[in-house]
Amino acid sequence: MAREEDNLFEFADFDEKESEHIAAPRYSYWKSVWHTFFHSKVTIFLSVFVIALVVFALIQPLTSGYSPTDAPNINNAEMKYLPPSAEHIFGTDNIGNEVWNVVWAGARNSIIVSFVSTAIIMTIGILVGALWGFSKKMDRWMIEVYNVVSNVPYLLLAMILSYVLGAGLGSLIFVMCCIDWIYVAYFIRTQVMIIRDREYNLASKCLGTKTFTMIMKNILPYLVSVIVTYIAREIPALISYEVFLSYMGLGLGTNYASLGRTISQYRSYMTGYPHLFWIPVLVLAAIAISLYVVGQKLADATDPRTHR
Amino acid sequence: MSETTNREVLLSLRNVEISFDNGGKHKFKAVQDANFDIYRGETFALVGESGSGKTTIGRAIMRINELSAGEITFEGKRISGKLSKQEDIDVIRNIQMIFQDPAASLNERATIEYIISEGLYNFHLYKNEEDRIAKVDRALEEVGLLPEHKSRYPHEFSGGQRQRVGIARALIMEPKLVVADEPISALDVSIRAQVLNLMNKLKNEKALTYLFIAHDLSVVRFIADRIAVIHLGRIVEIAETEELFAYPIHPYTVSLLSAVPMPDPIIEKQREPIVYADALEEKTGPDYAMREIRPEHYVYCTPEQAEKYRKNLD
Repeated sequence: MAREEDNLFEFADFDEKESEHIAAPRYSYWKSVWHTFFHSKVTIFLSVFVIALVVFALIQPLTSGYSPTDAPNINNAEMKYLPPSAEHIFGTDNIGNEVWNVVWAGARNSIIVSFVSTAIIMTIGILVGALWGFSKKMDRWMIEVYNVVSNVPYLLLAMILSYVLGAGLGSLIFVMCCIDWIYVAYFIRTQVMIIRDREYNLASKCLGTKTFTMIMKNILPYLVSVIVTYIAREIPALISYEVFLSYMGLGLGTNYASLGRTISQYRSYMTGYPHLFWIPVLVLAAIAISLYVVGQKLADATDPRTHR
Repeated sequence: MSETTNREVLLSLRNVEISFDNGGKHKFKAVQDANFDIYRGETFALVGESGSGKTTIGRAIMRINELSAGEITFEGKRISGKLSKQEDIDVIRNIQMIFQDPAASLNERATIEYIISEGLYNFHLYKNEEDRIAKVDRALEEVGLLPEHKSRYPHEFSGGQRQRVGIARALIMEPKLVVADEPISALDVSIRAQVLNLMNKLKNEKALTYLFIAHDLSVVRFIADRIAVIHLGRIVEIAETEELFAYPIHPYTVSLLSAVPMPDPIIEKQREPIVYADALEEKTGPDYAMREIRPEHYVYCTPEQAEKYRKNLD
């Protein structure tokens, strides 16, 4: 018997294909990274500042004609110890050189050493670490290598190597790389081990995917964020480290401009001509800190949890 | 299932033992002395509680877990232990797996197109790019997804859709045997039937054989032709589905069946779950073996117990 309510309803058409449709806009990882990174005005400002600083430090020494082995004004007493002014932006030093030129030439070498070293360290570290995390056989002996290498006194090794290899850009980069890569490799190894046995990796294994493809497609894309964080820490750390080694007399030789050696030389004028000491220190701080902050912002943006 | 005489064994486990050791001191036997055959074209279910070793067996067939004893053969050829490169490729192409958790089994940083193409890429199973795209499109269509989903990422899909991506990924390899490890237990109840029906449809279309691992007996009754009950790493009973539900013999099976909830409040109120008395104790010994109690119905027991079971049935 038909009831009155029955007439109130009728069957609607149901399209199965339509129900599978996803209405959300397309997602792209790198676009989201880009979007999140440039969302904050502070980050945009800082990035422009960092890029300008680095580019300036790389270009200025090429045009200034400054050479650390040359002191054209050494006999001109009027050109020594001048305070910062419109004519001499950072003043002049004990041998009549423009501090402005000295500082940027030093910064250039620090930046080159740190960027090149970071690139080498990260490349070797990530490749070794990814294989290390995957292979149980490799893990057995790599962990022993790690124990040995990580217990070598870093400064001692740096001293020996700088005596053996001489004090050049190449040998300084070698000194910086020859231990640090193993820390990166160990860090990556641990990260790989965390995600190695997740179900999607087992699925890839069941499909016959080779280890190298798994590293490139299944593992490294998950590690972008932690790798960027590591790089963001490594670059400023290595700039400071170059300065430290040069300050100790273990870094670049006297025929290379170096922020570290500059600071070491100007140290004695800290009370008499404080600008000589503080200007290189502040330039170092500006480069290292701004690189660090921008790096951290980029690391945050590469974390998909921050994407909206 | 009636043509019992003319059955061809596809996969066979003989005296399979799988153990995990913690640095040699502690050897834990997850599976002991497992013997069963899976016939071509059937759905063979492996049921048991958590930790009983059913997933371990599935993974041993996929060669994720190594055997510590026994062997597994597929179409008469040994597939456990060391294999040559060509054998390895053949096994991968012939046996594929559907995973339990659709949230964890898809690579979140890859597009659906890459996930489904992965097996094709590994063995270059396509003539050219268009052929690969066409194969992916067909695979998506078969599981009820749309070609436009190719450029999407797994997190944009629902649980049921993701599981269907997992099915498409396995079936694009054109396997003969599919190991389905609790394929619907992580899914929302409302879409379980959809995925089960899809699996049945694909089985008929592609003449597949399933090893269906599950703990949900009502699901198993719906999909399986034969059932093996596993308890504490030992297979205790093997029988055809209706036979097992009609005449459960091993006390563990009896208790397992008594625990199935009924969608009827009156029956449910009167249901008296039977507790398996030896739940924690391993019932084994030299006398124990798989014995045929009824036709095609095997139970793990001693000769005396077998006598008793036969008597009880009469």
